[in-house]
Amino acid sequence: MVKLEFEHKQAGHCESGVTRNLLNYHNFKISEPMAFGIGAGLFFSYLPFLKMQHAPTTSFRVWPGQVFDRATRELGVKTAIHSFRNPKDSMDKLNAVLEQGYPVGLQVGTFHLPFFPPEYRMHYNMHNMIVYGHNNGTYFISDTLMENLVEITYEDLMRVRFAKGAFAPRGRMYYPTLVPENIDIKPAIIKGIRKTANNMVGIPFPIVGVKGIRYLAGRMRRWEKKLGPVKASYYLGQVLRMEEEVGTAGAGFRYIYGAFLEEASTVLNQPWLKELSIEMGENANKWREFSYLGSRNCKKRGKPDQSYDFLADILLEIADREEKIFRKLFTIKK
Amino acid sequence: MGSTRDEIDDKATGDDELIYTYNRELFYHFDKENGYTQKVDYQNPCNQVIIKQSWDAAEERLEEVKQMVILGKSSPIAYYMEKILMEVPMLAAYMEIPKWRVRRHLKSKVFKKLKPEVLAKYASIFEIPADQLTNQDYLK
Repeated sequence: MVKLEFEHKQAGHCESGVTRNLLNYHNFKISEPMAFGIGAGLFFSYLPFLKMQHAPTTSFRVWPGQVFDRATRELGVKTAIHSFRNPKDSMDKLNAVLEQGYPVGLQVGTFHLPFFPPEYRMHYNMHNMIVYGHNNGTYFISDTLMENLVEITYEDLMRVRFAKGAFAPRGRMYYPTLVPENIDIKPAIIKGIRKTANNMVGIPFPIVGVKGIRYLAGRMRRWEKKLGPVKASYYLGQVLRMEEEVGTAGAGFRYIYGAFLEEASTVLNQPWLKELSIEMGENANKWREFSYLGSRNCKKRGKPDQSYDFLADILLEIADREEKIFRKLFTIKK
Repeated sequence: MGSTRDEIDDKATGDDELIYTYNRELFYHFDKENGYTQKVDYQNPCNQVIIKQSWDAAEERLEEVKQMVILGKSSPIAYYMEKILMEVPMLAAYMEIPKWRVRRHLKSKVFKKLKPEVLAKYASIFEIPADQLTNQDYLK
């Protein structure tokens, strides 16, 4: 029986929330946007060849696991990361680590998570949550999506840790082992901003970053003709689900990132970042407008200001705004 | 955002009602006066519409597959695979066999020749008793 004193806090995004909560447990106070920004979590990519739930994948985030990895590395926090072949080994290791007094972050699949909201119970293998104790085959879970603390049985936990398919977690578990006393977060912030700026405007590949948004806009104009109204609306819905659904805190992480820039401007004492954070906030509101009009399109209202061409124009405007913001962020200095 | 006319429409048709109220999540917001704020709330109605769209589409797909199975063009495996929202690569990963074999098993002709062990393994993934897989009465 182990039950650690763990403070549950909800978060907008599962992975940055887990990172923050784990670091907070080790007495290093950091906000969620900060963890997200240092981990360089913001991204955009549109992968028409990779189908998820029968529609092309749109992603607003980096590869799963990177936020925690990058944030802890840049902050100089020592961590342990394991993945397993044998489910039983993974549970034994989990018990052993809990008994040493460390709460543990887990990557899990959501389909068999018993406490998960039913509307989100799809095969999505990139969810993160924290285990902070166990007793007689019941595990105590802090999931940043949920309002309250929850519990899960041994069998269910083993099952969600070894969900299969794309991005299979393979029992992945991670936790900080040593958090240094005096961490200087300034260089970490600058590195995180540079990484994100590079991801968004520096990769010469048409389907990622700002170019990816433009590419999606171009594709979107052709959907209705190519796929017919029903499928086109489903494709659009898929983009919006990725943008607004579970774990983005709204507008595909743009709000979180804006909050990060605001905080960074205070920490680094660079007022121009504050201006950029306001631009980012307005950009995020634009994304939300896009999803609002898009959802009306999905309801088949068929008004001219909800057509695919109109939505694509909004995306182009967003791409221009983001390009401006990230080109400026690219020039950040100490 | 959004004209008032649309909002009136929504009220008239009851579209503003929340469909999913199981759990409240944390959302960030931004406006010029207050800056960035956080709020714990349910998903807003227009996002819930999009979530519902995907479940409706899944139901439609399931109905299509069901008809195919009843006509004998697909095997029941296709139906139960759709029912738990899986696709061939994922089912193959759970079955620990190559994808092309799962694709073959989706044909009713091949399905009829499957060994009981294979059927039992499929049934355990679909969480149904083994005899349900071969008994078409469950589909009707």
